[in-house]
Amino acid sequence: MTYKKWLPPAITLILLIAGWQVYTTVSGIDAWLLPSPKDIGDAAIEQRDALTTHTLATVELTLYGLAAGVAAGLLIAIVLHLVPFLRAAVYPLLVISQNVPIIALAPLLVIWLGFGIAPKIVVIVLVCFFPVAVATLDGLGRSDALIADYLRMSGANRRQLFTKLQWPHALPTMFSGLKIAATYSVFGAIISEWLGSEKGIGRYMIVQKSAFRADRMFVAIVIVVVLALAIFGLVALLEKLTVRGRRHA
Amino acid sequence: MPDTLRVAGVNHGFKDLEVLKNLDISVKQGEFVSIIGPSGSGKSTLFHLIGGLLTPASGTIEINGANAVGRRGLIGYMPQAPALMPWRTIEANVILAREIAGKKDRKIAREWLARVGLDGFARSYPHQLSGGMQQRVAFLRALISDQELLCLDEPFSALDAMTRADMHRWLLDIWEANRRSVLFVTHNIEEALLLSDTVYVFSHRPATVLEKITVPFGRPRRAEVVDDPEFVKLRRRLTDLLTGVPS
Ligand SMILES: Nc1ncnc2c1ncn2[C@@H]1O[C@H](COP(=O)(O)OP(=O)(O)O)[C@@H](O)[C@H]1O
Ligand SMILES: [Mg+2]
Repeated sequence: MTYKKWLPPAITLILLIAGWQVYTTVSGIDAWLLPSPKDIGDAAIEQRDALTTHTLATVELTLYGLAAGVAAGLLIAIVLHLVPFLRAAVYPLLVISQNVPIIALAPLLVIWLGFGIAPKIVVIVLVCFFPVAVATLDGLGRSDALIADYLRMSGANRRQLFTKLQWPHALPTMFSGLKIAATYSVFGAIISEWLGSEKGIGRYMIVQKSAFRADRMFVAIVIVVVLALAIFGLVALLEKLTVRGRRHA
Repeated sequence: MPDTLRVAGVNHGFKDLEVLKNLDISVKQGEFVSIIGPSGSGKSTLFHLIGGLLTPASGTIEINGANAVGRRGLIGYMPQAPALMPWRTIEANVILAREIAGKKDRKIAREWLARVGLDGFARSYPHQLSGGMQQRVAFLRALISDQELLCLDEPFSALDAMTRADMHRWLLDIWEANRRSVLFVTHNIEEALLLSDTVYVFSHRPATVLEKITVPFGRPRRAEVVDDPEFVKLRRRLTDLLTGVPS
């Protein structure tokens, strides 16, 4: 990204924060209701040890959950692609399943799977698998028919058709699904920590909410946003390293 | 020695659409054979039959004397558009057919790219090449597939006249140095006469062979042959056949 692209939003952000600081100072609003940016910064510094522990726990949970979710999404996409009958039978149900609110399902998962890491991972998987599965399935199904004919006439079998044409063709679409999943995964982790956990930013938020510490809640929100951006950036970097050439001339 | 390709009594259609009717075609070893016919007459369909993508309703197809009906991987094929993989480098594209046959060999790809003046593009991606360059790559991919029979489906139809003339020279040079058996589809009369030993003229759909013409010019063939009175006569005759003027 060039500075022309990131400079305008950066200036907007700085102006917003400055306006916020001015407003809280001039209006004299109570800090427990709306803390000033400076209050939030102070809280972050004061809480840094606790925050580090909680953040690391959330990062670990997010990465495990995301990995499991992506694996599940890819597996579903490949199986449904290779078995058209299953695709017809399962795909509509997958779409419907996305209308089940995770937040309502979460307590059930705790009843079934206990308070360990299992229900938390399942929550993140449920949040992450769908964009990956749909995007990959779409990419696998849309490869160039002319190249497919060429490969078949050159003697390619079904496995070669998949590994040489369909999978590489699906990679860019797969990555757009993966980016969505990466962004969702942090929120999935926070929700799953609300289910009950000792550590994690989600846990930290619950504790601070009970204590009416709005300043610390804001710190937690900033951390969540930064985490989501970092994981997104990681996936985007991976995409850059993997996807070569270009789709269209 | 059997013909490289023998198509005999082939009929084919799609549902109610009759496309090929009692078709007979043969390509001898080292012969350059063109098929010329109106678009939609069934030329690409014939290639799909020869390549084993489709199975004819009736008739026989033999490659090097062996039954080839429904059998794939026996021809070097160049489709109507270059059909290169945008995520592969030129070198990796050129090697594709060999890779499928389990004979992947980057050295051969590099040697050939150098021999035909494309070595500067080995590491480029298809979208970085012009249409003519992409066609050369697609041709090379068919050529080094190591099959005796090359089937080229209107390879130059999307190119402008200048590029097309360049491509003719380029193709003739390579082919005259490496005599392979070629079946070449076109709807350009001059192109067919310039390149071929034999020209089959197809009728409108359902396609049958209207006429088989033997081109009397030797090899190596020069571009000046188009001014030969015999060439002009043949061009006239083919134009009449294709536009339906009774002779
Ligand atoms: N898979 C198919 N299903 C139905 N009709 C087809 C199919 N392929 C080709 N056709 C039809 O067969 C006819 C011949 O097509 P084609 O062989 O591509 O012609 P040509 O290559 O000579 O222009 C056309 O009318 C085309 O619409
Ligand atoms: Mg065609």
